This record gives sequence, C-alpha cells and structure tokens, in this order.
Amino acid sequence: MVISLYTLLEITIRSISISGLATLLSALWSIPVAILLSISQSKMARLLTTIFNALVGIPTVVIGLVLYLLLSRSGPLGIVNMLYTPYAIIFGQAILITPLLISFGIEVIGVRTRDLIEMSLTFGASKRQVFTTIFEESSSRILAISILGFQRAVGELGVALMLGGNIKGLTRVFTTAIALEIQRGEFELAIYLGLILITVDFIIILILRLLGWRK
Amino acid sequence: MDKRIIIMGVVLAILVFGGYISYTMLTQGETLRISTTTSLYATGLLDRLGEEFEKTHPNVVIQVIAVGSGEALRKASMGDADLVLVHAPNLEIKYVNDGFLVEGAIFAYNYFVIVGPPDDPAGIKDLRNSTMAFIKIMEAGEKGEALFVSRGDNSGTHNREMFIWSKACIKPSGGWYIESGTGMSQTLEIANEKGAYTLTDIGTYLKLRKTGVLNNLEIMVSGDPNLINIYSVYIVNPEKVDGVKYKLAKEFMDFLLSHNGQEIIETYGLDLYGEQLFYSAENTDVNELKDIWNYFATS
Repeated sequence: MVISLYTLLEITIRSISISGLATLLSALWSIPVAILLSISQSKMARLLTTIFNALVGIPTVVIGLVLYLLLSRSGPLGIVNMLYTPYAIIFGQAILITPLLISFGIEVIGVRTRDLIEMSLTFGASKRQVFTTIFEESSSRILAISILGFQRAVGELGVALMLGGNIKGLTRVFTTAIALEIQRGEFELAIYLGLILITVDFIIILILRLLGWRK
Repeated sequence: MDKRIIIMGVVLAILVFGGYISYTMLTQGETLRISTTTSLYATGLLDRLGEEFEKTHPNVVIQVIAVGSGEALRKASMGDADLVLVHAPNLEIKYVNDGFLVEGAIFAYNYFVIVGPPDDPAGIKDLRNSTMAFIKIMEAGEKGEALFVSRGDNSGTHNREMFIWSKACIKPSGGWYIESGTGMSQTLEIANEKGAYTLTDIGTYLKLRKTGVLNNLEIMVSGDPNLINIYSVYIVNPEKVDGVKYKLAKEFMDFLLSHNGQEIIETYGLDLYGEQLFYSAENTDVNELKDIWNYFATS
C-alpha cells in the first residue's frame, strides 16, 4: 500500500496545524504562569514549580485516557461533542505540554531575568510592570520554549490516538499514521513517514530560529 | 515594533491553522462512527466497504476507530460509536445482555490459525486439533524448546486463545509464555523474531506475510471448529446511549448484509493474497454460525 502525495501533504499540514495551535493555546496560559511563578518567592510558588516539574514526564496515553473519559459522550464534557475531532487533539496536546512549557519557562525566563527583576524592583516598578518587561525582554526565549513544546506535541502518539482516533482525512496525524502502517506491516512506509516528520520539524525550527535571530 | 510582529505572526498562524482545521471539519458532512476490531481495518476490508457505501451515500463520511474488540465494545457502550464490528462472542454477549448493543448479526467469518517457526519444535504441524496443539506447545515450552506469544490484551483473538487454554485445562505461565500486550501485527512480529508460536486471525497473517515481514512463521494448525472466527455487527442501542445515529447505522448494517456487501467480503484480498481472507455469512448456513457463536459466547 502506497500513500499518495496528496495524503502525505494533508497529513503534514494537519500535523503542523494541530500541534501548532496546541502550542499557541498552551503558551497562552503557560508562559504567564511561568513568569508569575518565577517572580513570586512564596512557598506556594516553589511547591507548584515542583509539581509542574514532576508532571513533565507524564505518559501521553494517561493524559489521553483521562481526557477521553472527560470528552466521551457519557463523560462530563460529552455535551460539547469534541471527541474524535482535531479540536480534541489540540486541547489534549495543549494540556500535555503545559507542564513542560511552565517548567522550562521558569528555568529559562525566570532564572536569567532575576537580575532584571531585582533592578526593576529597586527602581520601584510595580509587579505588573515587571511582568511586561520580562515578557518583552524574553520574547526569543519564549519562542525557544514554544519550539520545545511543539516538538513534544507533534511527536506524541497517546493523545492523538485516544482523542483523535486516527480517522482518515480528519484526525490522522504523523504519529498515528506511522502506528497504523506498523500495524499493517508496512515498515518501510512507516520509516519514510518518520523521516518526513523529522525533516518537516527541522525546516520549521530553522525558519523560526532564523526569524528569532534577525531581531 | 517587535511586539507587533510577534502578535501579527501569532494571529496569522491561528488564522491559517484554524482555517485549515475548520475547513476539514466543515467538509465532513454527516458522519457514521464505527468502532471496529483492528483485523478488519488493517487488512483494508473496511476501507473497501466504506468506499462502496459512500458511493450510494455521497453525503456520509465513515469514521473508523480501529482498536481491539474489548476497547471497541467499551467505547461503543460509552456512546463514542454508532456501530460496532467485533469478533469476541464472550465479550459481546455481556454488552448485549446489558442492553448496550442491539440488532446483532453475523456478517462474516474466517479462521484463527496457530502459526509457528518452520522447524516446529513442538511437533504440531498438521494437527487438526487446537487443544492438542496447545498441550504440545506447553510441554515443549516447559522443556525450554518452544515459546508462545500471547496478545494479552483482552482482544477477540486473546479471548479465543484463553478459551483454548481452558479447553486444554492449562493455566499458561512460565518463561515459555510471553504476553506481548500489543496488537495482532506486533504480536506476529514478536513471534517471528523469537521463533515462537502464536494464535492469529488468518487475515492479518496473510496480509503481513505478503509484505515479507513474517519469513519465520508458517501455518501449523488450522481447520479446527474451535478456531472459527466469527465477526458480528451491532448497532449501539439509541434508547440506552445518547446521540447514536440509528438510522444511518442501520443503513450501513443493511449494506453490510446485502448481497453487494457480502460479495465484497467474500472476494476481498483474493487478487492480492491469492487466498480468501474472509468468508461471507451469506454463503453459509447462518443458523450453524449462530450455534457456534452461542457456544463461544456461553462457554
């Protein structure tokens, strides 16, 4: 069985779209939380940081299963009818990469801008001003973290399979397509798909890095 | 300035990605969701049937969720499918009795086969009795001469394997008994690598054999009545589960059982594999199949 060029293109665009949107969505709440946690010196913040650190390694199928039970027609969110749609994968991957974005966000944004924070505070800036300053100063680092998040999202299988169902023409992404081809015994095709995924990844990162450097 | 470029980039990305995703959603028309056992999907039969059905129902899109029989049934009972295609009578009967599945019908059958390495260390080749073969595999296994790979995943095939072990009065365990916990294809590949025996549906075996993956596995035992593999179709009970598209599910079921649908099943894969993968219910005594189904469901 050979995959047509059209299908391949479709899977590529879908994978990038879904994981790209998931990354943006996740960054929307993860980056502010990361900045807040790195500014705050409270015990609570340190506890939350530890929790998010621990959650980075959560198995993707576990997230997939928990969200499946939530989104299933008989689940508490079944009414929105989101299961087995691309939206469900976007939602699931956004949740999946949240601990990663927050943890790395705290490390990369927080630690390196500690001087900046102290300086701003000595000059009598409000917390809000500190927040925006950090955001502006670390845009390239936020980009770098988002790339990491995107990588995790585009390369994961559990969430895409549980929430998307690998439906042809709707929720089939790179990883689920690869899993299916392995099941079909088409190992070569699975390897090709994997290579294409890596190539696409590489090109995206290259473009983003170039854009980041130019600034 | 920098800020504006970033915001514009993000907005643009959302528009492009979101637009694409929404477009694929909108073009999806009315959907029928089928949860099915992997063997029907991995062999390509369901795609072929779906194509034919969509010819007469151009506005319908068939969404296939291919998982093991246990998972397929569970998902259907949770309202996440309209139609179920499975092959695990002893699991099916529970969901039928609980009222989750209605209008069950047998639409196809084929055979499980015991496959193993060509040198056949357990000496089971051409036995006609699967129970006898399992006993011999265990004996050879305990002597350290043979291995058996089990699916171990509560699928239809795994359930049948456990049924045969119970017929042989054996509780399989020990170093010779490997539980793979994976789908049929992976299990076959593991058996192939390790030179082990395993139980498989004939369709998946022939499909994989054709792709050249299974050069170390041959069919050892087939044709035992205990190895008949019965595929049934059910509609999820709309009175018990919300949101089931009963009418559409019924139409697909009728198509599956129609002469047209049955003919596709009967001839599928003949040209590719040189052997029949599935046998239609139409060309068989359905009552006999039902008796066999009952035997597996209740024992």
